[in-house]
Amino acid sequence: MLLHIVNRSPATSQVYRQALEGMGQDDRLLLIEDGVQGALPQLVRYYDGLQGRLFALKEDLASRGLLGRCDGEVQVVDVDGFVALTEEAERTVSWY
Amino acid sequence: MRYALLLMGAPYSHQASHSALRFAQAVVARGHRLEAVFFYHDGVQNAARLAAPPQDEPHLVDAWVSLHREHDVALQVCIAAALRRGLMDRREAERHGKSGHSLAAPFELTGLGQLVDLGLRCDRLVTFGP
Repeated sequence: MLLHIVNRSPATSQVYRQALEGMGQDDRLLLIEDGVQGALPQLVRYYDGLQGRLFALKEDLASRGLLGRCDGEVQVVDVDGFVALTEEAERTVSWY
Repeated sequence: MRYALLLMGAPYSHQASHSALRFAQAVVARGHRLEAVFFYHDGVQNAARLAAPPQDEPHLVDAWVSLHREHDVALQVCIAAALRRGLMDRREAERHGKSGHSLAAPFELTGLGQLVDLGLRCDRLVTFGP
């Protein structure tokens, strides 16, 4: 299982497509920086099919005033949880 | 676990430096060994000796140096990326006939071989791009 990390919003960048194409069936996706916009109910449809494997970084949500506004399918993790996700994954792949 | 970070975003242009620093601090707080942070592309600007941000802002260079001092994290800077951007230590400054050096200690100029070595040696290599 790999952890993919995306730091761009699906509203402004196509890089999410490359990430999705590169993902295996069990891989997880973590949204950080502007990427956390993808966790909003209005944009989460771009990540359809990742139920249970989609995460967003709490600190980056908070700094954008978006904490508490995520779609229910998204699991919010803080930076400690970010490290835990990298522990559980075999490797990490960053898309930017 | 043994970790290494690859940082390629310029401070103040992208969030990458702050993301990487926060992640680095969390890695050591969880009891892992952070072997090194490798600064590449515009990420080398994190090693600027003369960086003087306003006092009420986080000082990235000082924060990296603290990480080195407190947790023995190597701060490795790609020499080719650094020289292109005017970042050099005393030795390189003399070699290129420059009047001053701009790389903060204990940042060290290294090559991509070191990055490959980190990838092989460490259990996790996490990239923070621009």
